[in-house]
Amino acid sequence: MGALKNYDGKGNNTMHRVLLPFEFFEPKTVDEALRLLHTANSKLMAGGVDLVLKMRLRQILPDAVIGLQKIPELDYIESNPAGLRFGALASIRQIELSPLVQKNWTVLFEAVHQIASVQTKTMGTAVGNLCVATPTSDIAPPLFVLGAKVKIVGLNYEKLVPIENFFVAVGKTILEPNEIVTEIFVPGMPAGIGSAFLKAGKTAGDIAKVNAAVMVLVADKICKDARIALGSVGPTPIRVPEAEGLLKGQKLDETMFAEAAVAAADAVKPISDIRSTAKYRKEMVRVLVKDALAKAAVNAKA
Amino acid sequence: MKKERANFIVNGRSYEFIIEPQMLLIDLLREKIGLTGTKYACGTGDCGACTVLVDGKPVLSCLALAVTARDKSILTIEGVAEGATLHPIQQAFVDNGAVQCGFCTPGMVLSAKALLEENPKPTRDQIKGGLAGNLCRCTAYVKIIDAVEAAAERMGKGGGS
Repeated sequence: MGALKNYDGKGNNTMHRVLLPFEFFEPKTVDEALRLLHTANSKLMAGGVDLVLKMRLRQILPDAVIGLQKIPELDYIESNPAGLRFGALASIRQIELSPLVQKNWTVLFEAVHQIASVQTKTMGTAVGNLCVATPTSDIAPPLFVLGAKVKIVGLNYEKLVPIENFFVAVGKTILEPNEIVTEIFVPGMPAGIGSAFLKAGKTAGDIAKVNAAVMVLVADKICKDARIALGSVGPTPIRVPEAEGLLKGQKLDETMFAEAAVAAADAVKPISDIRSTAKYRKEMVRVLVKDALAKAAVNAKA
Repeated sequence: MKKERANFIVNGRSYEFIIEPQMLLIDLLREKIGLTGTKYACGTGDCGACTVLVDGKPVLSCLALAVTARDKSILTIEGVAEGATLHPIQQAFVDNGAVQCGFCTPGMVLSAKALLEENPKPTRDQIKGGLAGNLCRCTAYVKIIDAVEAAAERMGKGGGS
């Protein structure tokens, strides 16, 4: 992780036409990339959408950029009965167009499908989006409810971390400067699962004011498990156990959805910023959670 | 690398330049090669005016390092027509009045080309989805979508690609 510097010393996000010089490396293997990461103030680049923009804004000024694009072992989407795996180079567009994702991990598909710009989806990677650790990520909430795990690799070790433990703060993850996220693993979905992703934005193309992913597991008309994840209502994406707990063991109906939605809205502490106000975000949490639960419950029956 | 000789294939032609890693793809195209059809507008990846196709896929040239397009096939708006004959998408833009100020047009045409190669018979909604990363401040989009629809129809009847 490169040092964050304010180029003009005042913290202004000034857009610059050109980038400042840096050294560029294109390792061919993950091992080679890890060795290069020991260079001081270096940044990893997958698609580059976020990094190049922040370099132009002078928010990130790395001495070295390590491009991952020439590492074939990171470029894959595959699934087996155990689940779905995609590598650090899997673009958001590849995930969107994957018939496997469309069929079996619909909440992830819905989330990536509604991201508007084809260009951004083509260049940008899902892993890159997660590592940027923006609270507004549309990709994190579905992965939260799907119980995804993040594979983190360092020199001579690797670990699998639940995605809920991955984010620390705005722009910050548990990733150490000498580690790389190589893969996301998403478990297979049992029968009786229903899910939904919903987002409230200023326009369809804009990033979220609030987003919500939900998943319910229904058996014999009773909710056996419920997961609700929200984005853009705190420094990191979050689960809302207060609302999930209300649903478990219950027969799912409109009253339950409304109660859980109120509990979710009560649990969050959003801020006011350029995109929305805290009050509106809370209200939209209520609306989105209620609607998403209703949609998920229908999907569970289908 | 700090400075390196690199090969680029732009509109079917091979170019060799000594480039520095901080060079953006749009600057390679506009400043080094002189292909100014690729437009620079927002610089933040919101507007799509700088869209070019790299190995057939739509890429924002204002957020791409030129070095990452090395040895790849780059298509800009200048390479879309066949000599003096407009590409069916370009012709459809003219016929449908889809060009007003023209600044978004190169990006629109290239996004449309990528879309039609992936999906030769898109619905109107799919056209909107394919062009969602390109902003137009003049036309309100209706004529652009009409044009892509017309181009798809013409190309489907063997009107060239």
